[in-house]
Amino acid sequence: MLETLTLSLSIVRRNWWVYRKDFLANISPTIADPAFLTLSLGVGLGAFVTSVDGHTYLQYLAPGLAVSTAMFTAFFETSYGFYVRMTFENIFRAMLTTPIGINEIVLSEFIWVALKGAMMVSGICLVLALFGLFTNPWLLPICPLIGVLVALPLGAIGLIASCYVKNINQFQTVYSFVISPLYFFSGIFFPLAQMPPALRIIAECLPLYHGVQLSQALFWNREVVATWTVHAPILMVYSTVLVTWAFRRVRLRLQT
Amino acid sequence: MSRNDVIRATDVRKSFGQLQAVNGVSFHVREGQCFGLLGPNGAGKSTLINMIYGTTLRGSGELTVFGLDPSHEARSIKRRIGVVTQDNALDESLTVRENMEIYAAFASVPRDQRAPRVQELLHYMNLGHKQNEPIASLSGGMKRRLVFVRALLNNPELIILDEPTTGLDPAVRHLLWGKVKQLKAEGKTVLLTTHYMHEAEVLCDQLLIMSAGQVIAGGSPEQLRAEHTPGYVAAFDDPPRLAALKAHAESHGLQASQDSSGLYIRAPHLEMLLRFQSENNCAAIQMRPSNLEDVFLQLTGQELTADA
Repeated sequence: MLETLTLSLSIVRRNWWVYRKDFLANISPTIADPAFLTLSLGVGLGAFVTSVDGHTYLQYLAPGLAVSTAMFTAFFETSYGFYVRMTFENIFRAMLTTPIGINEIVLSEFIWVALKGAMMVSGICLVLALFGLFTNPWLLPICPLIGVLVALPLGAIGLIASCYVKNINQFQTVYSFVISPLYFFSGIFFPLAQMPPALRIIAECLPLYHGVQLSQALFWNREVVATWTVHAPILMVYSTVLVTWAFRRVRLRLQT
Repeated sequence: MSRNDVIRATDVRKSFGQLQAVNGVSFHVREGQCFGLLGPNGAGKSTLINMIYGTTLRGSGELTVFGLDPSHEARSIKRRIGVVTQDNALDESLTVRENMEIYAAFASVPRDQRAPRVQELLHYMNLGHKQNEPIASLSGGMKRRLVFVRALLNNPELIILDEPTTGLDPAVRHLLWGKVKQLKAEGKTVLLTTHYMHEAEVLCDQLLIMSAGQVIAGGSPEQLRAEHTPGYVAAFDDPPRLAALKAHAESHGLQASQDSSGLYIRAPHLEMLLRFQSENNCAAIQMRPSNLEDVFLQLTGQELTADA
């Protein structure tokens, strides 16, 4: 087990070395997209919206956008990123000639997306806190946990997709029909109470919804313990199921 | 088979759906030997190699490496082998040294030994001056040399070379051959797959010729030549006359085969080919002792090329 962890961390270190080579280009979309969304929707559209759940629209939007950063980071890393390493660059084939096995490859993917998710969410939360959108700064150190809890199930979805797609273009379909609905119907842009009951129940089953709930509790300093007691375990269950599925699919894909 | 066999394969089979990729292959590789697997693409060589380090699980048969079963003890095997993969699979954005350091960690080289080991190997392959250059700036030959020494990081007992010189210019090819011979002299065992018959003749002690997943011949290069194509070969490239020349050769008891590159006539003695030339008033473009390529042509009826 210790050797598995050591080897997985050596892959994570490799990912970090590659990532830092083009750090600005890699980090730009993750930071810029939520920043511009905050600006255009929060400040622009927010001027026309008086109150959402007792918050300005900018205050309402901020927690969800922070969580969405973890989702996009994790999904893109384990879908396009993993697929390119697996097929075009043949990196895994070379790794598998060393003591590294498939377990180490998959574990490293999850460690890496968890770290990236934590880092991205922390960064966004810190910036939003500087704009006064984080009510209780003492809760900021908990933000990386949201990144981890969201990155694991979403990273697993990306890995599973990587094992099913026949070519890289098919990720567009996964993005359109899996990631986009999560983004738009998890309570980031409007409270789910606005939706018809049946759709609301479906939306509340989406993993990102639970991440948004955790984030809103922290940002608004509202029922933090009660919210985390309910939604964090749900995300853990999601992670367990999806991560197990991802392990099995990747094993089938890499071992013939 | 002896106790110092590094690899033992007995009736190994593997299929992918309807495709029988490896079909009842048996061989053994002794310690210190350079063993060659020859065959066109699709012959089953890569599948066999993947089975040796456990990435592909065998369907049936027995396979051991250092006496261990790759299906269950792949990591123990991989600690003792080094593999030069067909694809370079280098991290293009990283430097030469960074690529090596990363693989030193993958190969479980102790932390305090990584830097000196990387330096030693880069200088061994004349890449020391390039250690801080990104991979993207290296030539194809330099990348291949780097992949070659990457496989030596853990000081392996068995080195697997999967088409190590495909696409390289002759100078780099000869450099790598020299290194393989050096490793052999140090007592390392080498398993080589190649499309180049000359490479196999220069490096290998024992060969296995495969086609469509099966072994069609095996032995030392000398044995294979003596058994299948003894003597000499004359090559003719005169398209309008090839059919007539072939018929004439066969009517005189000479072996003849024709492919896209021309007509090849084999005879046990050089004088017979010289007489054939004068009788038919033709000139061979090449006349030489037979080689492994002739053995392959004789056995399979097809050319052995990277695209075959």
